[in-house]
Amino acid sequence: MYIYDKFDHTITRERVAEFSQQVARRLTGELSEDQFRPLRLMNGLYLQLHAYMLRVAIPYGTLSSKQVRKLADIAKKYDRDYGHFTTRQNIQYNWIKLEQVPEILAELASVEMHANQTSGNCIRNVTADQFAGVAGDELEDPRIISEIIRQWSTFHPEFSFLPRKFKFAVTGAAKDRAAIQFHDIGIQVVKNDAGETGYAVYVGGGMGRTPVVAPLIKPFVARTELLSYLEACLRVYNLHGRRDNMYKARIKILVRDLGPAEYARQVEEMWPLTRAAGVDIEPAEEARIRAFFAPPPYEKIAEPVASFVDARAKTRAFAQWVQTNVHTHKVAGYGAVTISLKPIGGIPGDASSAQMHAIADLADTYSLGEVRVTHVQNLVLPNVKQADLFAVWQRLGEIGFAEANIGLVTDIIACPGLDYCSLANARSIPVAQQLSERFADLDRQHIIGPLQIKISGCINACGHHHAGHIGILGVDKAGQEFYQITLGGAGDETASIGTLLGPGFAGEDIVGAVDKVVNTYLELRQAPSETFIEAYRRVGATPFKESLYGRR
Amino acid sequence: MAVVDRNGPIADKWTRLADDAPVPRAASVIVSFARLKNEHNSLFSTAAGVGVEIAGDVNLKELEPFLPRLGVIVVRFATMRDGRVFSIGRLLREQYRYSADMRAVGDFIPDQALFLLRCGFTSFEVAENFPLASFKQSLAAYSTWYQRATDRATTVRDLRRENAPSGSKS
Repeated sequence: MYIYDKFDHTITRERVAEFSQQVARRLTGELSEDQFRPLRLMNGLYLQLHAYMLRVAIPYGTLSSKQVRKLADIAKKYDRDYGHFTTRQNIQYNWIKLEQVPEILAELASVEMHANQTSGNCIRNVTADQFAGVAGDELEDPRIISEIIRQWSTFHPEFSFLPRKFKFAVTGAAKDRAAIQFHDIGIQVVKNDAGETGYAVYVGGGMGRTPVVAPLIKPFVARTELLSYLEACLRVYNLHGRRDNMYKARIKILVRDLGPAEYARQVEEMWPLTRAAGVDIEPAEEARIRAFFAPPPYEKIAEPVASFVDARAKTRAFAQWVQTNVHTHKVAGYGAVTISLKPIGGIPGDASSAQMHAIADLADTYSLGEVRVTHVQNLVLPNVKQADLFAVWQRLGEIGFAEANIGLVTDIIACPGLDYCSLANARSIPVAQQLSERFADLDRQHIIGPLQIKISGCINACGHHHAGHIGILGVDKAGQEFYQITLGGAGDETASIGTLLGPGFAGEDIVGAVDKVVNTYLELRQAPSETFIEAYRRVGATPFKESLYGRR
Repeated sequence: MAVVDRNGPIADKWTRLADDAPVPRAASVIVSFARLKNEHNSLFSTAAGVGVEIAGDVNLKELEPFLPRLGVIVVRFATMRDGRVFSIGRLLREQYRYSADMRAVGDFIPDQALFLLRCGFTSFEVAENFPLASFKQSLAAYSTWYQRATDRATTVRDLRRENAPSGSKS
C-alpha cells in the first residue's frame, strides 16, 4: 500500500495546524458558525442531532493493521468505544467534542491518515473496488490512479468550493464492485485498440432525489493525461453547475441539462488549457506510486489445499461461510475474506474497539497486515491462505463477525438515519435490525440467494436505496415514519435505478412487506439459480405490486 | 474598505465610479461591466486608469477585447461559497493572459485567500475590521502543494523530482 514520504507528512501536519487555529478562531468567535461551517466540513466534522460527528477518510478503502489499531484507540479514547464504517469506505465517530478534534487529527496523522475533504462541496474520498489487487478479473490495480487522484484533489485551490460535493469511484475490472456509474465521476481501467492501458470516464451519475446512471463521456484517456482531463471536467462544472438550488447543484443535473454530448464537447474545448497548466503526472512519479501497489510476496501454494477441502467437508457452517464470504483470489492457494459487519440484529457497519483490535491482529497473522473497507459496510482481509481460512473463521466467530451472509438478504446497507442524522426523516437502523432478525435463518438466506437490501432514512439516499435490489426509503408522513419500497435497482456493471412499488408502509408493517416481496420472488423464480434481480428483470413490478397491494 | 495583498495593506489608487457619475480626469476608476461595454471609448480616453468589476456569471469572451487596457479586474464573491471566482481567476491568467492586478471582493474569508493567490489573484478588497493576523497566518499555512496551479508554486512532485537519485529524473 501507499506509504507517505516526508512531503506527504509535511502537508498532513500543516493541515492539522491550520485546522487547529481555525477551531481556536471559532471558539473565540472571530469566525462565525456560517464562516466556520465549510472549513469544518472539509475536515470531516459534521454537526449532527446530538453531537459532532467526525468522518475519517480511508482512501480507496485500504488500511494497514496499524491504522486499524489507531482507529480502534480513537474510538475508545474519544468516542463511545465504537466506530461506524460507511458506504464511502470511511469511518465515522458519532460522539466527538469539537475541542478534541485537532488532537484526534494529529493522532490520525501519526499513522498517515486524515479527515480531509470527507465532507463539504469539494472532491471527496476516492472509493475503489475492495478486491483491488487481488481480484483475478482486473486489468490494473485501481488504487494506483485512486492515489494519484487523492493527491491531485487534496486542497485543490480551484475546486474546494464547488456547487456541491463531488465523488469519484474507480474500478480496475469490468465487473464493477465500486458502483462507478452512481458517482459524479466513475473511472474504469480499460485497454484501447492499440493495447494501451488507460481510463474510461463516466460523468454525472448519482443518487439523491434525482438518481442518475452516469453516461460514458470519454471512452479512453491515456494514463498520464487523466488529471488534466479531470481538471477540465471539474472546471466546466465549477463554472456552470447550478448554485441557486442545492438539490440541482450536482454535476448530474448539469450533464443532463446540457446533454452528455454537449458537456463532453465543452470539456474537450477546455482540455488543451488544463493540459498546458502542467497538472498531468510525470511517468517517473506515476511509476513511483505504482510501485507501492506491487503484489506482496505470496507463497507458491498448490491447489487443492487438503486441510481446506477437509474442513469444508466436515464443518457445514464453515463451508457456508466460505461460499458467501470468501472471494476467489488471483493467486492460487489464497482467498479474500469479507468480514461481515452485519451480525443478526446488529447495526450495519458498526465495530467496537475490541473488534477492530481483533481484526488488526488477524490481518497481521493471516493477511499480510492489510484490511479493506467495502462500500457495503463490511471489512475485507484480502490475502488469506486457504489453509488459514478455518482459523480466521473461528476467530471471527468469537468476535461476532462470522455471519455467512455476504451478498445475502441480511447483508443490508443502512444510513445512520434519524438515530443520528439531522437530515433524516425516518430511522434506518431499527428497520435494518428487524429485517436482519426476520431473515435470520441462514439456510433460508442461502435458499433466497443473492439479494441486496439498501435503506435510506431520507431522500438524500446515503443508504443507496436506488441501487438496492430491494430499496427502502424512509419518509415523513404527517409526523410519522413511513417506508417506501423500490425494486430492481443495481449498483454493479448492469447499473439500474429501482422503481417505486406504491404507497409506503408504517414502521410496524415494513418488515412484513419485504417478507412478502421475497416470498413472491421465491414463488415465481424459474429455478433456484435465477436470482432476485434476474427474476425481477424478467417479470417486472406487477407480481410484486399485486402481492403487496392486491389486484387492481 | 481597505485593500491588502499577500504582504499586508497597500495604498489603493482606484475609486469606484457609479454608473451615472461623470468620468473624472486624471483618476483611476473601477466601473461596472455594463458601463465598460457602453462607454469604453470615453472611459479609456478620459480616465487615468480603468478597472472593471465582474461577477461569477461573467462571459469572459465579452471582456476579452478590453483586457490589455484594464488596470484592475475586481471579481466579486456572491457568497463565500461562490467557487466560480477561482476558475475565473485561472481562466483570466491562463487562457486570456491577463497580467495586471486581479482583486477579490465580497464575502470571502481569510482562509480562502491562499487559494485565490494560487488561482492568480493579486489583491483583496476587505472590510476595515478584516482580521489581518489570521490572514497572514493562513497564507503561511502550507509550505508546498500537491498540484500545479496558476501561481506555479513549488509542488510536492517538484520536490520529489529534486530529491530523486540522479539519473532517475524525468
